Amino acid sequence: MGSKAAITLLRSHEEVRRLWNSPEYPHEYIDAVDASVTFRDAPGDRGTEIHVELERGAPRGKLREAVQKVVGSASLAKVKDDLRRFKQRAETGELPRSEGTPEGERAERKLKQHPAQPLKESELEKAGL
Amino acid sequence: MRANVWSGRNTVQVENVPDPKLLNDRDAIVKITSTAICGSDLHMYDGYIPTMKKGDILGHEFMGEVVEVGRGVSNLQAGDRVVVPFPIACGDCWFCRHELYAACENSNPNGGLAEKMFGHPTAGIFGYSHLTGGYAGGQAEYARVPYADVGPFKVEDDLPDEQVLFLSDIFPTGYMGAEFCEISGGECIAVFGAGPVGQFAIASAVMLGAERVIAIDHVDYRLEMARNKAGATDTINFREDPDVVEQLKLLTGGRGPDAVIDAVGMEAVSGHVPVHAAERLKQAARAETDRGAALRDAILACRPGGIVSIIGAYGGLMDKFPTGALMNKGLSIKTGQCHVQRYLKPLYEHVKAGHIDPSFVVTHRLELGEAPNGYETFKHKEDNCVKVVLKP
Amino acid sequence: MTENSTAGFPRPVDATLHGATDYSVGAALMTVFPRLARVEGTPAGRQIRTAGAIHAGYSTLTDYPLGVVRLLPYKAHLAIDAIGALALAATPFATGQFRQGRSQWVPHVALSAFELVSLMLSDPTGRGNYKADVAAVRRSNMEDPHRKVHDKTPAVTRRSDSVARETAQ
Repeated sequence: MGSKAAITLLRSHEEVRRLWNSPEYPHEYIDAVDASVTFRDAPGDRGTEIHVELERGAPRGKLREAVQKVVGSASLAKVKDDLRRFKQRAETGELPRSEGTPEGERAERKLKQHPAQPLKESELEKAGL
Repeated sequence: MRANVWSGRNTVQVENVPDPKLLNDRDAIVKITSTAICGSDLHMYDGYIPTMKKGDILGHEFMGEVVEVGRGVSNLQAGDRVVVPFPIACGDCWFCRHELYAACENSNPNGGLAEKMFGHPTAGIFGYSHLTGGYAGGQAEYARVPYADVGPFKVEDDLPDEQVLFLSDIFPTGYMGAEFCEISGGECIAVFGAGPVGQFAIASAVMLGAERVIAIDHVDYRLEMARNKAGATDTINFREDPDVVEQLKLLTGGRGPDAVIDAVGMEAVSGHVPVHAAERLKQAARAETDRGAALRDAILACRPGGIVSIIGAYGGLMDKFPTGALMNKGLSIKTGQCHVQRYLKPLYEHVKAGHIDPSFVVTHRLELGEAPNGYETFKHKEDNCVKVVLKP
Repeated sequence: MTENSTAGFPRPVDATLHGATDYSVGAALMTVFPRLARVEGTPAGRQIRTAGAIHAGYSTLTDYPLGVVRLLPYKAHLAIDAIGALALAATPFATGQFRQGRSQWVPHVALSAFELVSLMLSDPTGRGNYKADVAAVRRSNMEDPHRKVHDKTPAVTRRSDSVARETAQ
């Protein structure tokens, strides 16, 4: 059970750095937690890798370790969400929206999906659309 | 608008739901003129697919007329007649650029769920549970089509709907299954499953130059259609004799077919009654998700060094996969959800040139409101049913 | 939940699920149930084992998806289920063993109640659980399925070299 995540974008190293620092491509959760972000060239024509490592103090005691595992996996899911959303914006120019998940990919939404049918006006407003 | 929604196991209902709206700049709204029920829809109907929610609109084979486009779509305008491929692909990721559209990394907003099940996220699909994104499907009057600058394929007005509708899924799927077999002329191909996808796999193998195409099923009228229309040279009904492997060897002079196509998938039926009973029991107890009777027979029947082409849909895990036979006979497995987008143009050209008339599979054309009856008729193979087309 | 019968309440257990229950409960009754209900070695234990064996036995002869030799109509099976449940509940009272304590009649009554509830939830409609209106489908079908299946004109032409070349891109 790690505290690291990685994703690859089909863009050059300079482009990825530029987009990462641009306010139009936010990654709020990764910014909020204590995380180190590094960029590496992917082999061949695959683009650029982004590696995120969450800083973790060494847990003291089995209980803290267990708690950290649970909290950590929830935390890691949010990190992966941020990375996927960044990739989707960078590569396609938009976030994929479905009727089940109109705000795009969100860890919190995984268990509480809207049914796969068009949203009513009030639901669209709530989703910010 | 009216739409056919999933309402629980063995239950679909046509209900009134809101009309779709554009959610993204690259979206388009299509008014649907024809749509169909797919064999893989039955897996959701039968309750084998997790992450379904009451109210989910089903349907991933549809075509119609564009009525609205988002600001980011310049290749389509209102009034265009389009066929919509079932995998939703962004066109920009590494997989889309390599024409592996069904592996698109960006189109599934529930990618995290798919990653837990399969190891990686896979492309979004219309109307196919929240694992594939929770997109509303096409058994409805209208549908919202994401990445409309990538997916929808413009067709001219001269061909009737039923000759182009199946470009959305089953024709390319059957064709990809036959293409996997690397047919160069003269081969014997065995196709397990004579449902609509199997029919197109048979027809495609014939088009690609196979000399013998053997159709295998347990329903006589489907084998008859395979013989009369799809071009099968031989048929096997395993209700008469459950030993399919032996029959295939006899039909091929003891050699076995050069390649086998599994167009059956996870709800396979075994000719051996106790085997089938055991598998149904395991599935009812959810001890296994996939019934592998057809795939097992296919691997055992394929000649050494041959190709096992799997286009039947599977979702989870099967028991007793014959790894020994696979390895020791040196078989190659080629499989996947069809990358429909790359087959649209070439297969459309075949239809226009008259090499194939895809409408041969249609046995039922019903108004959208009859969808629940349509599902039941299709599921239980009543009334000579092969393919049901719904007209909204 | 669709109405599967004229009973006016949902009956979601289809023939397959009923069959799965028949075999699993039958097996459990024949093996571990008497020990768990602490009636092992008593008349109650023997009666329950017999009930389980009979139940699993006629299940294998039933014409439903999990039947082995499909002789007994499904509705007849359900009728035997009901009669058997009542007979099982009555047995401790008919033999007088109920006077020897709760363990000699409560399991029978509990199993009987379970069986009757599962029968109420079982949809009795016919072979293959086909619930559609065939007549309605035939009326509203705008196509002729018989013709589509039996017409002998092939829908595909065998390969000419051009076909393979065109598609090979």
